[in-house]
Amino acid sequence: NAQQTSVSGIVKDAKTGETILGASILEKGTSKGVITNMDGEFTISASPNATLVIKYLGYLSVEVPVAGKTKITVQLHEDAIALGEVVAIGYATVKKNDATGSLTSIKPDKLNKGLTTNAQDMITGKIAGVNVVSDGGAPGAGAKIRIRGGSSLNASNDPLIVIDGLAMDNEGIKGVSNLLSTINPNDIESFTVLKDASATAIYGSRASNGVIIITTKKGEKGAKPRVSYDGNVSMSVVGKTLDVMNGNQFRDYANKLYAGQTGTLSKLGTESTDWQRQIYQTAINHDHNISIMGGLKNMPYRASFGYTNQDGIIKTSNFERYTGSVNLNPSFFDDHLKVSLNAKGMYVNNRYADTGVIGAAASMDPTQPVTSTQEPYKTTFAGYWQWITTGTTWNSLSVANPLATLNLKKDIAHSKDFIGNAEFDYKVHFLPELRAHLSLGTEISDGKQNLFIPTTNASDGQVGRTGYEKIYKYNRSLSYYMNYAKEIGVQKFDVMAGYEWQHFYRSLNSHYSALDLTTNTTNNVFKTESYLVSFFGRANYTLLERYLLTATIRNDRSSRFAKENRSSLFPSLAFAWKINEEGFMKNNTIFSDLKLRLGYGETGQQNLGSDIGDYPYIPVYVTNIEGATYPIDGNYIQTYRPNPYNKKLKWETTTTYNAGIDWGLLNNRITGSIDGYYRATDNLISRVNVAAGTNFSNIVTQNIGSLENKGIEFTLTGKAISTKDLTWDISYNATYNYNKITKLTGTGASTPVADRNISSGTGNYVEVHQVGFPAYSFFVYEQVYDRNHNPIEGLYVDRNGDGKINDADRYYYHNPAPDVTMGLSSKLVYKEFDFGVTLRASLGNYVYNDVAANKANVGASGVWSTSGFFVNKPISAMETNFVGRTNWYFSDFYVQNASFVRVDNITVGYTFKNLFHAISSGRLSATVQNPFVFTKYKGLDPEVFTGVDNNIYPRPIMAVIGLSLNF
Amino acid sequence: CVNDLNVTPIDPSTIRTFDQDAVFAKVYASLALTGQQGPAGKGDLAGVDEGTSSFIRLIWNLNELSTDEAICSWGDPGIPELNFNKWTASHDQVNGIYARFYFGVSLCNLFLEQTASATDTKTVKQRAEVRFLRALNYYYLMDLFGNVPFTEVVSLDPPKQMRRADLFAWLEKELKAIEPDLAAPRTNTYYRVDQAAEWLLLARMYLNAEVYTGTANWSAAKTYAKKVMDSGYKLNPSYAQLFMADNAGAFDASTNTAPQEIILPIACDGVKTQSYGNSLFMIASFHTSGMPAWGTSEGWGGNRARAALARKFFPNGIPVGTDLTKLTAFAGDKRAMFWGWDIADSKSTDPMTILNYSVFKQGLSVTKFSNVRSDGKVSNDLKFTDTDVPLFRLAEAYLTYAEASFRLGDAPTALTTINQLRDRTSGSAPALSSITLDKILDEWSREFYFEGRRRTDLIRFGYYGGSDYTWDWKGGTAAGTKFSSIYNLYPIPATDLNVNPNLKQNPGF
Repeated sequence: NAQQTSVSGIVKDAKTGETILGASILEKGTSKGVITNMDGEFTISASPNATLVIKYLGYLSVEVPVAGKTKITVQLHEDAIALGEVVAIGYATVKKNDATGSLTSIKPDKLNKGLTTNAQDMITGKIAGVNVVSDGGAPGAGAKIRIRGGSSLNASNDPLIVIDGLAMDNEGIKGVSNLLSTINPNDIESFTVLKDASATAIYGSRASNGVIIITTKKGEKGAKPRVSYDGNVSMSVVGKTLDVMNGNQFRDYANKLYAGQTGTLSKLGTESTDWQRQIYQTAINHDHNISIMGGLKNMPYRASFGYTNQDGIIKTSNFERYTGSVNLNPSFFDDHLKVSLNAKGMYVNNRYADTGVIGAAASMDPTQPVTSTQEPYKTTFAGYWQWITTGTTWNSLSVANPLATLNLKKDIAHSKDFIGNAEFDYKVHFLPELRAHLSLGTEISDGKQNLFIPTTNASDGQVGRTGYEKIYKYNRSLSYYMNYAKEIGVQKFDVMAGYEWQHFYRSLNSHYSALDLTTNTTNNVFKTESYLVSFFGRANYTLLERYLLTATIRNDRSSRFAKENRSSLFPSLAFAWKINEEGFMKNNTIFSDLKLRLGYGETGQQNLGSDIGDYPYIPVYVTNIEGATYPIDGNYIQTYRPNPYNKKLKWETTTTYNAGIDWGLLNNRITGSIDGYYRATDNLISRVNVAAGTNFSNIVTQNIGSLENKGIEFTLTGKAISTKDLTWDISYNATYNYNKITKLTGTGASTPVADRNISSGTGNYVEVHQVGFPAYSFFVYEQVYDRNHNPIEGLYVDRNGDGKINDADRYYYHNPAPDVTMGLSSKLVYKEFDFGVTLRASLGNYVYNDVAANKANVGASGVWSTSGFFVNKPISAMETNFVGRTNWYFSDFYVQNASFVRVDNITVGYTFKNLFHAISSGRLSATVQNPFVFTKYKGLDPEVFTGVDNNIYPRPIMAVIGLSLNF
Repeated sequence: CVNDLNVTPIDPSTIRTFDQDAVFAKVYASLALTGQQGPAGKGDLAGVDEGTSSFIRLIWNLNELSTDEAICSWGDPGIPELNFNKWTASHDQVNGIYARFYFGVSLCNLFLEQTASATDTKTVKQRAEVRFLRALNYYYLMDLFGNVPFTEVVSLDPPKQMRRADLFAWLEKELKAIEPDLAAPRTNTYYRVDQAAEWLLLARMYLNAEVYTGTANWSAAKTYAKKVMDSGYKLNPSYAQLFMADNAGAFDASTNTAPQEIILPIACDGVKTQSYGNSLFMIASFHTSGMPAWGTSEGWGGNRARAALARKFFPNGIPVGTDLTKLTAFAGDKRAMFWGWDIADSKSTDPMTILNYSVFKQGLSVTKFSNVRSDGKVSNDLKFTDTDVPLFRLAEAYLTYAEASFRLGDAPTALTTINQLRDRTSGSAPALSSITLDKILDEWSREFYFEGRRRTDLIRFGYYGGSDYTWDWKGGTAAGTKFSSIYNLYPIPATDLNVNPNLKQNPGF
C-alpha cells in the first residue's frame, strides 16, 4: 500500500515529563526511521496502519500503532532493570551492567559543570579513585591525574589516555601543558576511567596507572542539522596574597635590626611599594564554541569550532586557543561496514609569565620604587629600579624587580596539534557474528616557543637573550582485531583477538643566543623514538545472563628494552555475578540492581619518563654543545661522553586484586558502588647507585624495588527529589588510598627525590623514598617548641638519643598524597531554573611550606643579604622570629597539614525556549569558580601536587557568565 | 611489525661509535666541566647538584673547608659538616667527589680499552696522558679515602677494594711506566700533561708516603721535586698573575707570563668552557658586593679566610684603624690578597675574627682569584670566568724540595729554597732568616692557601684529626675543638657499600 500519512508526535520521559532528544522512531518492518529533535518532537510519514517502534538508550522501547492518528505522545519508561548505558572499554564497548572490571563512566553534566577550559576540569572530583590536581592557575594550565595512587617511583605515574580509540603518549607539547588541553571540552561525549587491572590489562604495558577513555560527540543518523552555540565571559582575580611588610614597616624593622650600621641603612629606599599588587591583574577571559550536528542519509556528522582567550591573573600571561573537530560516521552495505572518521585540530598561542615573580614580589624590598628616572636604571634597566653591585652591574643574587621581569620578557609558544583517526568495522556478510575492526590513527604536533629578553632585563646576565625551542612529535598507530560473538542457549560467548603497532617520535631543537646573536649561543638538537608492538585477546563468557567471566591477555613488546627483556605477558581475569537476577531475589523490592565483581590482573610500565628516555639499554656517546668544550692542541674540539646504560632493564609489573559491589536501590533511584583494591608493583624502575667504577655514572636506571597501594572507593548517586517540576540529583564519591614502598635494593639510606628541591640553600631536599613509608615522604627534623607553642630555632628532638643532632635524627613525616579524597555534586532543577554546586575534599595531604621556610630568616643575615640587598619578609615570619642560625628549613614545622575542602563552583542557570523564532532553546548561567577553600594550611593554597609549595601560579577566583543557544 | 623494535638511537647528539679524539678530549674536559652542556645540563653525575659535582670544586671543598684556611657561610647540604669536621658516610660532597673520581676512572678505562691495540705515536702519547689522568683520580682517591675499589677495566662486576699502600705502589709503578711516552717538560701543547706533571705527582706522593704507606720516603720526594725544578718551568715573577683571567698567557692573547709556572692548568673560558664548578666557583664564592671588581657578575659571598689563615700573614693582628682595603701592603707579602670588612657591619671586634660563621662579612675575604685580566682588557663573559685553575704549579716543587731537605736534616737548603720562592725575582715577600718544620707548614699555607690542598699538608704534619693544633671553628666551636683522627680519611659512601659487597668501611664510620 503506497498510501502514506504524516504522523507527528512528541517523546517524553514517563516519570519526569521531560522531552527526550534523540529517540529513534522506526516504522516496524521497514527501514524507515527518524530521530526526535531538541524538543523531543518528530514527524514521520508512515502507512496509516503501521506500528511505530520508539527506542531510546536506557529506556524500555515502546510499540505504538498509528491507527490513523496524526499526532501521538509517547511516554518512555526508564529501563531500570537492565541499565542500557554503553561504556567504552579497551577495543570494545559493553553495557555498563555487563562490565566485569572496575570502571566509571561519566558524561559531562551540561548544567553543573563550572568553567571547563581543559578536559580534566570535567572529571576533577567526580570519580572515585581519580585524583586530579591542577598545576596552578595559569591559563591553560595542566594537571596531574593519579588513579588509585601512583604505581611507580621514577617511571611515569600518568594514566594512559585514549581518545576515540587512539592511545596517546604523555609527552607534552610546546605551549600546552598536557594533551588534555588539546581537546575542546565541549566536544567530549563521555569519559570512561578504567581502574582495576581486569579492566586495564588489555592495554598491557601502559595500563598500570589506569586508563582514561575519551569519546567525542558524534552526529545522529537521519537527524536534521542542528547548530548550537556555547560560550562564556569570565573575570578572574587573585585570591589570597602573602602578607608581607609594607614600606614603613620594613623601614622601622630594618632601623631596629641594623641600628648604627649606617652603611647598610643607607641602602633603604623611601617608597612604599606593594610589589604583589604590581604583578597581579584582573583578567578577562572569553570562550566560544559553535557546533553543527546531524545526519546526511547514512552519514551522521558533527563539526565544531572553539575559541578560547584567557588572560592570566599574573600580568602578561595569556592563553589563546582555537580548536576544530569533524566527525563523520557513515555506514555502508546495510550497516555491515561502519566507518568512523575523526579529526581534531588545535592551534594555541600561549604567553608565559615568569612564575618566579610570585616569590620575588613577596621578597622585593618594599621601600624601593618600581621605576626610576635616575641612572643607571633609566638606560641600563629600561627605567625599572634594580639592585646593583657596582656601576651598571645588576646584583645577580638579589631579588630582581618582578614587574621588570614580567614586562621585559616575551616567552610565547605557538603550537599546532592534530589528532586524526579512521575506524572501519565490518560485520562479515555471511557470518554476522564475526566482526573485523581496523583502526588507523595519528597525532601530530608542532610547537615553537620563542623567547626574547632585552639587555635591560637584569635577571638574564644583561646581555639579552633571543631564541626558540621547537618540539615536533607524532604518534602513529594501527590496530586490528577480530571479534566473534555467539549466543547458544543460556550461554554467550564473545571472543576477540587483535594486533596493535604504535610508533612514537619526538624531536626537539633549540637555539638561544645573546642579542648580539654570536655570543652565549647554545644549540640543542634531540630526537627520539620508540615502538610498541602488541598482540591481545579477550574472551567473555556469560551464563544465564548473570554469571559473567572475562579473561584478557596482552603480549607487549617495547623498543625501550633489550631484546631479552622486551616481551611480556599481561593477563587478567574477572568474574561478575548479577545477584539480583537470581531466583531468590525475584521478590525483593529493595535492590533493583546488585552485582558482585572480582578481578585480578597484571599490568606493566614501560613509560620511563623523559629523564630516562627511550634507549636506557643501549650504550651511546653524548656529544657536547656550546659552553662545554675544552681546548686540546689549541682547538675547542668535540667531546664524547659515554652514557650509563643498563642492558638488564625490564618492565615494571603491577598486580592488582579488586573486589567490588554495584547496587541500585528503589528502581535505581539510588545507585552506588564500593570497591576495594590491592596493587603491588614489582621490579620498580628507579635511578639508583651502581658500584663505583662499573658504569659511566654513579646513578643508573634499574629495577630495584616494590611498592603497594591499598584502597577503598565508594560512589553514591541519587535522585533526592524527582517530580515533574523539581528534581534534585546528588552524587558523592570518596576514596581512601595508602601507598607504601616495600622494597628498595641498592639504597640503604633514603633516596632523595631529586626534582623536589626546596628553595633554601642549594640542592636541599625534603622528600625521600624509603622502605616502609609512602613514596615522597617528608624527611625532616622534629621541631622543639617553647611554652607558647612557638618553634625554637634549630632545636630539634634527638630522636636516636645519641646526644647529637645530625642527619640521623631526621625522620619520615607524612607525605603529599591525600589519604582520603571526596567529591560532591548537587544539582537542583526547578522548572526553568537550575542550581548546581560542586565540592571537593582532600584529607591527610601534607605540604612543605617552602615559601614560609625560605622567607623565615628575619635576623640580620636574612633581611640584609651578605651579597648586598634587602629582602622583605612575611609578617608571619616575625612570629617564628628565626634569625638564620641553623638549618631551620629542615624542620617539620614547615610540613603542614594541607587538608582542604574546596568549593569548585556554584552555578545558577535559566533555560528558555523558542526565542525570536530562530533559537529553539538556550540557557543563561552564572558561575562562581573556586569561591571558597577551607583549610588549616598556612600557605596561600593547599593544593600542591609536588608537596613543595613554591611559586605556584595562584588559582584565581572567577565569575563566569555563560550562554548556550540551540538554533 | 616486530622488527621495528630493533631500534638504534636517532638522536643526533648521541653517537654509537667510539671516537678517539672526542673521548680523549672528554677525559681532559671532565677536569673543568660537569656535563655536556655549559654551564650545566646533560650532567655527568646524578644525585648531586650539577654545579657542585665539579672535580676541582669538590676537591676544594673537602681539602679547604675542613682545615684552618677556609670556612663557608652557606647552609647548603654538606657544607656545615665540612666546616665543622662532622661528616658521615652519607654526605653530599663526599658522595659527589667519589662519584666524580670514578666517572673519571671509568672514562679513562674506556679510552684505554678502545685504543689498546694502537701503536701510532699520537695514540701512544694520548694513552700515556690518559693513564696519568686515571692515576690522578686514583691519587686523590688514595689521599681522601684511603682504601678504595680499584679497576682498570670496563666491567659491570663490582671492583675489589685495594689497600692504600698497595694503591700507592700501583701509582708509583704506573706513573713511572708512562714516563717515556709522555712529552718532555714544556714540549706538549698547553693544557696537556707532560713529564713535569708526572714528576710533580710522584713528588707529592713521596712527600706524603708516610701517611699513605707508613714509611717515609723524603729522598724520593726531594729527587722528583728537583727534577721538576730543573725541568724548564720558571717561577712567575708576579704571584697575582697566576690567578687572573688571562693566566693562560699567549693562549689568552695576553702578555701574562703565568704559563711558565703552571704545569697543569684546568682550562676555563667564559664562553667556551662554562661551569658553576670551575674557577667561577672559586671567584664567585670568595666575593660579594662591595669588594673591588672581581670580573664576574656573580658574587656568592660564601668562602672566606678563617682567622687561623689570616694570622699566617698577620701574626700580630690587624690594629684598629688599619686600612682594610690595603691589607696586602700591610702584610708586606704580595701573596696576602685579602679584603677586610667594615667592623660595624660585621659586628666583630677584629676583622679576622668570625663570631657567626653564617655571616660572610665576618672574617677576611680572599681576593686571590679573579676574572680580571692583567693586561686590562675585558674578559670573555660578564658571568662565566676565563681564569684557569692552576692544578699543578712549580712552586709546589720548591716547597716539596725544601720540606724534604729539612726532614733529611738539610735546613740550609730548605731555607734557601723557600727564600727563592718568596722572592720570585720580584721581592714578593721578604726572606726568612730561620726555618723550622712549623715555619715550612706555614709557608705551604701562605703560598697555596685556597688552592685546594691544605688538608693533605695538615695531615702530613700531624696537625689534623686527633691533633691538639686547633683553629677557629675547628670541630664546630668558635674557639676550636679537637676532632678524632678517624676524620683523616673520608668514609666510603654508604651508597657504594650497599651495592659493592667487596668493600669495607674505613674505621670509625
